[in-house]
Amino acid sequence: MLLDFPIEQHRLVNGLRVNLSRDSTVPVVGVNLWYGVGSRNERVGKTGFAHLFEHMMFQGSEHVAKNAHFELIERAGGTLNASTWFDRTNYFDTVPSHFLELALWLESDRMGWMLPAMTQEKLDNQRDVVMNEKRQRYDNQPYGDWDEWIQTMVFPSAHPYAHTVIGSMEDIEAATLEDVSAFFRTFYLPNNCVLTLCGDFDSERALESIERFFGGIARGEDPPELPGEVGIAPTLEEPVRREIEAEVPLPRVIMAMRVPTMGSEGFHAAEMAGSVLGTGRSSRLYRGLVRDRRVAKDVMCFVFPLTTGASMMLVWATGVPGVEPEQLEAALAEELAGMAAVSEEDVARAVAVNTARFVQGLQAVGQRADVISAFDLLLDDPHRINTEMDRLARVTPGQVREFAGSFLTEQNRATLVYVPKEAT
Amino acid sequence: MSHLDRSMIPASGEMRDFEFPPIAKKDLDCGLALHLVQQPRLPVVSVRLFIDAGEDTLDHAQAGLSVLTGDALLGGTLDRSGIELAEALESIGADLGVVTGWDATTVHLSCLADRLDEAFALVAEVVRRPRFPDEEVERIRDQRLASLQQRAMEPSGIAADRILPCIFREGSPYSRPSMGTRDSVGRIDSEATRAYAAEFYKPVRGGLVVAGDVDLAEVGEIANRHLSGWSGAPPPRREVDTRPRQTEGRIVVVSRPGSVQSEIRIGHVGVSRSFPGYFPLRVFNTVLGGAFTSRLNLNLREENGFTYGVRSQFGFRRHAGMWVVGAAVGTEVTAPAVREAMAEITKLVREGPTDDELEAARDFLAGVFPLGVETTGQLASKVESMLVHDLAPDYYATYRDRIREVTRESATSAGQDAIRPAEATILVVGDPDEVVAPLEALELGEVEVVELEQGG
Repeated sequence: MLLDFPIEQHRLVNGLRVNLSRDSTVPVVGVNLWYGVGSRNERVGKTGFAHLFEHMMFQGSEHVAKNAHFELIERAGGTLNASTWFDRTNYFDTVPSHFLELALWLESDRMGWMLPAMTQEKLDNQRDVVMNEKRQRYDNQPYGDWDEWIQTMVFPSAHPYAHTVIGSMEDIEAATLEDVSAFFRTFYLPNNCVLTLCGDFDSERALESIERFFGGIARGEDPPELPGEVGIAPTLEEPVRREIEAEVPLPRVIMAMRVPTMGSEGFHAAEMAGSVLGTGRSSRLYRGLVRDRRVAKDVMCFVFPLTTGASMMLVWATGVPGVEPEQLEAALAEELAGMAAVSEEDVARAVAVNTARFVQGLQAVGQRADVISAFDLLLDDPHRINTEMDRLARVTPGQVREFAGSFLTEQNRATLVYVPKEAT
Repeated sequence: MSHLDRSMIPASGEMRDFEFPPIAKKDLDCGLALHLVQQPRLPVVSVRLFIDAGEDTLDHAQAGLSVLTGDALLGGTLDRSGIELAEALESIGADLGVVTGWDATTVHLSCLADRLDEAFALVAEVVRRPRFPDEEVERIRDQRLASLQQRAMEPSGIAADRILPCIFREGSPYSRPSMGTRDSVGRIDSEATRAYAAEFYKPVRGGLVVAGDVDLAEVGEIANRHLSGWSGAPPPRREVDTRPRQTEGRIVVVSRPGSVQSEIRIGHVGVSRSFPGYFPLRVFNTVLGGAFTSRLNLNLREENGFTYGVRSQFGFRRHAGMWVVGAAVGTEVTAPAVREAMAEITKLVREGPTDDELEAARDFLAGVFPLGVETTGQLASKVESMLVHDLAPDYYATYRDRIREVTRESATSAGQDAIRPAEATILVVGDPDEVVAPLEALELGEVEVVELEQGG
């Protein structure tokens, strides 16, 4: 499949990377920023801070009042949000195209002039909001603590991926205004950011506006090396297994593996293997565990696109009532082992499904801008949006089998078993 | 480069006109109308085939049958097994799914445009020649039962399900979750799904919507070829009892000891999709709780930090669904959160939005409209919704004008028609030891504590 989204690349004097991708089908434009900072940059005792900081970015800046970013964008008929992950934090606004300058002004003001607007009251408020986010999405949910367990099982404690993005309650609670300002000065720099516009705009005028709004922000020092120990063996040295009794309705087994990092050759094989295992109803996990054996009510496979030392692949299965966790675990293990015999048809189907989904996923300008920013920030190649499908399509069954032989082994496996607590 | 005064909000540029793309129409040989929106930007296509088969025609004893029959369509056809069907779809990269709601059953497909013929053949096959093999239906039923069991332990699921019978009367289908209950779903077998499909999966009152890089002649030919000979009508629609269960405000606490948060729902019977004040009500609800900068969210989240987020929503169905405000809040702030939410709702209903709020909400809803029609999937869903709810053919062409016509008076009056704070049920899923006494102190109505596990 050939994609040919146009991308103009620029770089401001202060180091800000700019990608312009025009498409005037609908009069909207996606403004998308990826900052090179995520939970992997957090130090001991400061877990969850990158995400808390993301919340603070909506609390106003020198020329923008608290909540004005939301008010102005919503009033313009736009949508906006942000998210924090291991390797990055992204901010995105999609607006009717005649409001492009508004979005650029707002994004540049918080990149350059955030600190004068910070107060203890705003920090206290957003700490409460984030603690409620943690309660709602993790603490008050069955299985909500799975990633906390899995990350510590897959990565050594000194590795930057050993803690979760949401972080610990204690650390969130301990965050100070000092932390906010130090973090801002260290990471929120034009030279640590990619800005992508995608949609309906005039390139020359857009670039001029970007210069005008972002050009006056000073370049900073390159962010420091990642904390902790980044170097890591490509696989686990020995299997890890943990069983937890919890307030959950049904047993669930999660298996996680270290896999090659995003951007490496091996990563595409991992993605294809993940798809053969877990995408669609003809996938091996669905067929094996849900359809044939009827031990699972749902199955899932996910390959994290991570860049530091090693990435991670997950499979999981939730049991149907009455099934023993051991049965689930054995069935999952058997499917992983079966990947050594992956067929031509398995891989051909995975390519077909991925191609169609990838293209469907690029229809909205906001999503397209996000993919371009991702490839630029993480792999220094925004044009990869046009070539990624071909890379995936070139993966051979032999490469998937080889991947399975090296990474889907018993040795390279962290297993987490949720056992429902007996009703009292 | 001129000096930039950063304190000035940049003026907007010139607005580019946006027209909803034309909707072409063609009557198919089987009597179904095809509606098509061309969107040639990328070589993709989205299809939605809807049938007049919603959950609202079923008694409680059959609850969930429409939903489960829809799910079981993927269990195989007279021509191929479930696994053969999955392989046929996935080998051409096609995504086929079925979604069943109160108003209709929809088979939806997305695929690359050059695969439409092969993929559409499979859509037609599952709708016209489903087989419902015993083992597939049993498996899908068991999966659904497991999901219900799981949902019964998730605070947000518990809240969503438990408020229904507080609001609608016992006999009304709307008093139960649309996917049915463990009891009713447990009784469904392959026989029942086969009978349901034979009775309901008929073209009359249904429709076909296609959006993407295709044209009317091409799709008309494909659809005619695969749907020819399909005929008949499903049973007539039924009235749904949408009378409120009670009109006195009250508080119900669903006991979940040890909860670190309370799931709050505040609601009563809302209005149907054909409510004459639909546009003014959308604007009103945006001010109340339909945007980040709504009154509820600014108070509960941005001022008080009680919650990660709070929303106010209407279930616009063929008959009056529910109006509901929902939020998950810290256990210790449950009563203050309820108090603040009720105060905001009551005040807005009494006084209406300010001119500035009104303008902001109108600008938001009118401006955000093009963002909702960027993809072929969004376009097809929008057209489907227009057809399912019998909206005028120029509905989307005039949508933004209708929003801009809303006045402070029309919004306030629609809000007062649709929201009656004193009649609302307040449901809290949380730790009774922590929340009951403070809730009683609010004096918003009697506080009743009920058990998490329901009998039956």
